[in-house]
Amino acid sequence: MNVFKLLLTLSVLVVSITYAQEPYVEKELLNKITKKYKMFAKKRFLYLQKTLDEVKDGSDLEKLEAVNVFYNGVRYMSDKKVYGKKDYWATPWQFLGKDRGDCEDYVISKYFALLYLGVDSKKLFFTYVKSSKFKATHMVLTYFKTPRSEPLILDNNNHKIFPASKRKDLTPIYNFNGESLYRANRSGTGKKVSNQKTHKKWDALKRNMKRKII
Amino acid sequence: MGCTQTQHEKENNMTLFKQIALMLSILLLIILATVLNLNFKAANTSVEDRLYEDAKNTATSLSLSLGSANGDISMMSTMINANFDSGTYSFISLVDVDNVLLYERKLESEELEVPEWFLNMITMEAPVASANVSAGWSQVGILNVQSDVAYAYNSLYSILKGLLISFSIIALVGLVILHLLLAIILKPLTGIQKQAEAVIRNEFIFQEKIPYTTEFKDVVLGMNNMVSKVKAMFDKGNRELQRQKALAYRDPVTKLNNRKYLIDRLPEYLKIDATSKGGINMMISLSGAIEANETIGRKKADELFNDIAKLFTTETEEYENAIIARMNGTEFSIFIPDCESMHGLMMAEAILTNSQFVIKKYELDNSETFLSIGLYEYNHKQSIGEVLSHSDNALAQAKFKEWNIHLAKAEDTVEVMGKNAWREILLSAIKENNFSYVSWPVVDAKEKKLIHNVLSLTINVDKETTYSYGQFMAAANQIGLSDNIYKNILTTLFKSPDSSLNYDTYSLRLPYEFLMLNNTYDEMKKLFASYALVLPFKLIIEMPDKLISQNSELVQDYKRLFEKYTIDMGVFEFIGDSQNYQYLQDLRPIYIKGESNYFLSQNEQTLSALRLITDSVGISLIATGVMNKDTLEQLEAKDIHIVQGKVTEEIQV
Repeated sequence: MNVFKLLLTLSVLVVSITYAQEPYVEKELLNKITKKYKMFAKKRFLYLQKTLDEVKDGSDLEKLEAVNVFYNGVRYMSDKKVYGKKDYWATPWQFLGKDRGDCEDYVISKYFALLYLGVDSKKLFFTYVKSSKFKATHMVLTYFKTPRSEPLILDNNNHKIFPASKRKDLTPIYNFNGESLYRANRSGTGKKVSNQKTHKKWDALKRNMKRKII
Repeated sequence: MGCTQTQHEKENNMTLFKQIALMLSILLLIILATVLNLNFKAANTSVEDRLYEDAKNTATSLSLSLGSANGDISMMSTMINANFDSGTYSFISLVDVDNVLLYERKLESEELEVPEWFLNMITMEAPVASANVSAGWSQVGILNVQSDVAYAYNSLYSILKGLLISFSIIALVGLVILHLLLAIILKPLTGIQKQAEAVIRNEFIFQEKIPYTTEFKDVVLGMNNMVSKVKAMFDKGNRELQRQKALAYRDPVTKLNNRKYLIDRLPEYLKIDATSKGGINMMISLSGAIEANETIGRKKADELFNDIAKLFTTETEEYENAIIARMNGTEFSIFIPDCESMHGLMMAEAILTNSQFVIKKYELDNSETFLSIGLYEYNHKQSIGEVLSHSDNALAQAKFKEWNIHLAKAEDTVEVMGKNAWREILLSAIKENNFSYVSWPVVDAKEKKLIHNVLSLTINVDKETTYSYGQFMAAANQIGLSDNIYKNILTTLFKSPDSSLNYDTYSLRLPYEFLMLNNTYDEMKKLFASYALVLPFKLIIEMPDKLISQNSELVQDYKRLFEKYTIDMGVFEFIGDSQNYQYLQDLRPIYIKGESNYFLSQNEQTLSALRLITDSVGISLIATGVMNKDTLEQLEAKDIHIVQGKVTEEIQV
């Protein structure tokens, strides 16, 4: 009987290990981040994982809320100050590792965290907006439940997610979805294009992600 | 005889220069082709990138414009049309969020200004650039833009043409520079090659300019060293032979030639085909020499001999071929070819009269100390022994004459045929070319090897009547037709060589008088230019030592002419009668032929000096007129193995 229980326990363990989701930041990369950004950074990543794990079975809205709240906790700082460049799209690891960044960095980190949680990339857009409040160009992450529905705005200046119609302070200028453009490119030529390019900044970000720039 | 590389073989061999030039040229062309290929590929990529960038810019800017249309399809179509018509696009399409085509413009026909092969060679793909289109917060769809590849093909074709032209110029300039650089780097090698070829030809070139490159420098120094040693060897032989000649041929008191010299020179005049048919040989004896010695002393007596010797020279100076020799202590001989008896007698009288003045000058009694002169009118068919003994007889008779002069004449030989008959035969033979070639071998008795064949002629009058060279040449000389005969021989030999001449190498002996004729050189030059290269055998032209030792401008012209047509030069009638043997080094005949008697009468020192000279410039020694085994053995004892004459019939080749 004891042997049966043991076998059953082992089987459950094996199944649960096999089907368990990979962590958002794999262990080897986390070690490197820890080495570079020290212990507090590691803790931030562990907390992110915990946050993500908590909503992984929730609705898209719950996921959007959790991710928006988590990343809006990161301090805003201009690229010039963080990276010494006028405009730089940081990888999620650089953003949380340094614990600071500008609006594009929030959008990027939120976007990839949501993809990790299983949100369809077709629903997420990087949207260039004009902020009447700050009288400046700005970027937010927009969520379209369906292609024709009103988008929800994930803004680093606002902890709460509002539908677009509630954000009178923002004027949309340009929507951008890297993944959909890749797909469009392929359907355009009917061939798989090597060395795909869609958007200069997006392409650079994808390269940095691939090279695991932290 | 040295083995030299023919011009043809040289042309077939690839020189180091050609090999390096070929290798570097191939390398240069490969590099240029690779660079051209890389350049073209880079241009290709750059054009493709440009296509994408253009499309992307259009997609982005147009998508922003489309946003202002607030989803109005007709407005958006107009905007797309305006963009499509103003640019070079393959297509512009707008799809909605459900991927349904809203509007599209496509290029209907592409006009390409490039050749078909270029299109086949280049596969170009214009990337599609996409941009999201939105109206306010709402998504409209995706805009796809693809640039027209025709523009890219045209650009690339122009680039390729430009690259090909510039690379061709670079390749051409590169090859010329490469050629020049190689020529500069390998210039010392040309010098070395010339020096090496000169060594093969037994010439001594000393290279003054020492190359900078270590390897070349070592080779040049080594060759210079070798050349210096061989040159020194030649010079030593030359000096030694001159010394030996002075010892062997000169009378130390009067500086006249001696008996040995006369005997070595006589075969040239006493032979069947001699140009000179006869002349006078004077034997002069000084009576009372012992008394004179006692009366005036040895030193004065020697001076008396010298003065008398000068008399001989003065009186015979109009005969350039006269040979004056002191035969012994009191006897002299003056051999004068082509001198008639009357003139000989006049000269004898003049010598006698003048000698009396000289004797008186030394306060000697003319009745005690006086000259006796025996004149003998010889003909060229006589032997040396006959001429000398008849001359001695004439002298003996002269001593009993009141005037101490006596003239004896050779008995006229009864000619089988008269001059007119010979003239007729010879003229007919020349006209109808009735000459045919015969040859006899020159053999290396040691190696049992045929060296070459000597050409001779016969006249075939009819089936039964044939005249040998010995028979007709004497008559030809007397009649004055020999030059015509030699001219005829040469012409026939070159224009229509006898098919019976099937050996590799033949030698042809040409006499002094023929070679010295004004037009012989020019006629030979014309003949060689037309026929020498198709001659079916190797030809050696033998020239008499008497001519070749002059090393004159004419001789050098002959040498150059022969060299040009790879005809070798040989020497015959060599008796080493020269003041300097430098001519052997300058002219480098392939062999020297001397009478067997000449070689046998030379002492060991003279022969070894001669050998030193000939070995250093690669000249063979050949003994002619070797009639029997005994003579051959004597010659072989003197290390002379190549022979010509009757004995060759006994040597198994």
